Amino acid sequence: MRFALLTLSLWLASLIGTFAAGAGHALPLDAQRLHDWLPVSNSMVMVWMAVGVIVLFCRMATGKMTLVPAGLQNFAEWAVESLYSFLENLMGPHLTKRTFWFFGTIFFFILVTNYLALIPGVGTVGWYLKDSAGHAAGFLPILRGGNADINMTAAMGFTFALLWIYWAVTEIGFGGLAKHIFAPKGSFNGIMQAMMVPIFLFVGVLEIISIAIRPVALSFRLFGNIYGGEQTLEKLMALVPEWLAFLPALPFYFMELLVGFVQALVFTLLCAIFLKLICDHGDEHH
Amino acid sequence: MFSFLASATQPNALETIKDTFGLHGAFFAAQVINFFLVIFVLKKFAFGPIQAILEQRRTRIVEGEEKLKRIEKQLADSEATTAAAIAKANEDALRLVAEAREGAAAFSEQKSQEAIAQAQQILAKAEAAGNADRERISTELKREFGRLIAATTTQVTGKVLTLEDQQRINEEALSKVGN
Repeated sequence: MRFALLTLSLWLASLIGTFAAGAGHALPLDAQRLHDWLPVSNSMVMVWMAVGVIVLFCRMATGKMTLVPAGLQNFAEWAVESLYSFLENLMGPHLTKRTFWFFGTIFFFILVTNYLALIPGVGTVGWYLKDSAGHAAGFLPILRGGNADINMTAAMGFTFALLWIYWAVTEIGFGGLAKHIFAPKGSFNGIMQAMMVPIFLFVGVLEIISIAIRPVALSFRLFGNIYGGEQTLEKLMALVPEWLAFLPALPFYFMELLVGFVQALVFTLLCAIFLKLICDHGDEHH
Repeated sequence: MFSFLASATQPNALETIKDTFGLHGAFFAAQVINFFLVIFVLKKFAFGPIQAILEQRRTRIVEGEEKLKRIEKQLADSEATTAAAIAKANEDALRLVAEAREGAAAFSEQKSQEAIAQAQQILAKAEAAGNADRERISTELKREFGRLIAATTTQVTGKVLTLEDQQRINEEALSKVGN
């Protein structure tokens, strides 16, 4: 109890110092290129690490599968089955069976990448750059959170957008898609029907804009949340003496653990809902 | 922030956004490739095997349930068959016991009748034998009595009796003694 109170006091004291001093160090918005001619950024290294962790975990969990699960296999089965059931309740059995490979990947990849970005050293281990005159020209971290790079979140968002349209067309056809966008919602008769045509044409145009914006919104939402979290940690750590840097950031690490999970879930959930909404007319025929 | 928003409304807003957030074609393409790599890895090494084993387990559970239902049905059928067989056996046993009882009674009656007949036969034989013996003894007695009479008469009278005398004396004596 005494330790907790002491920790809290120190943390509050460091925060006061932090805000009094003002923020100095800031995480750049863009991922930095690590090599002059090789298109490799520091966030890309993190993504490869995430791929490595996923491959390692999968090999360990599913290398020798048995009908009676134990250890990692049990955990992996629980995680996959829980997500599958969650999506099945949301999208129905047909769409889930068809698209789980994508939604499962989205969720686990975002989750692993977000959590890997919280490992100490990400964003802090690197080297100081110097210009041709030998003056300091900034700090280049070797690692940067995978989802704190708009290129990564946009890659996922626009991949989803393409698959979204593909799944919608294969489920309900071009006609069904056009109907979903432009057809009047509700039943109108006579003159009202004629009057509603231009209105729903306009609504359809808005719907197209909305559909076009959704992958952008998905990308920026994830990027913003993860970048914001990392920026918060950076700011808090940079504004206290180095030997105390861990302390103000400590509570926010727990919050970032929650944010990492929530953001993975939100991205997956929104993609699933978008797909469900656009394929809903198709599902009625199944 | 406001300067960014202001710049976003400019004609070259896309360029501004790209520059501000570091959206580069090469990085974007590389991250798309990375993402597809993750999809491939997870599909091949995680979702594929896990879903396969879950499906296998689900199938086994369904099969197990079906088997259980079949076994329960077989058990119920078997119990019904056993109960029917026991009832039939019971019925057969009762019928056999009844038949045995009837058979035993008939046999007993038959044997009794046979015993009675045999006894009657034995009695008749015994009676016939008794009668024959009595007849024989009576004949012998008569003969002995006649001989004794004749001997006595010979000794008393001193006369040698002829056959006719002996026969006459015997008949007289026998008629007085009776049969």
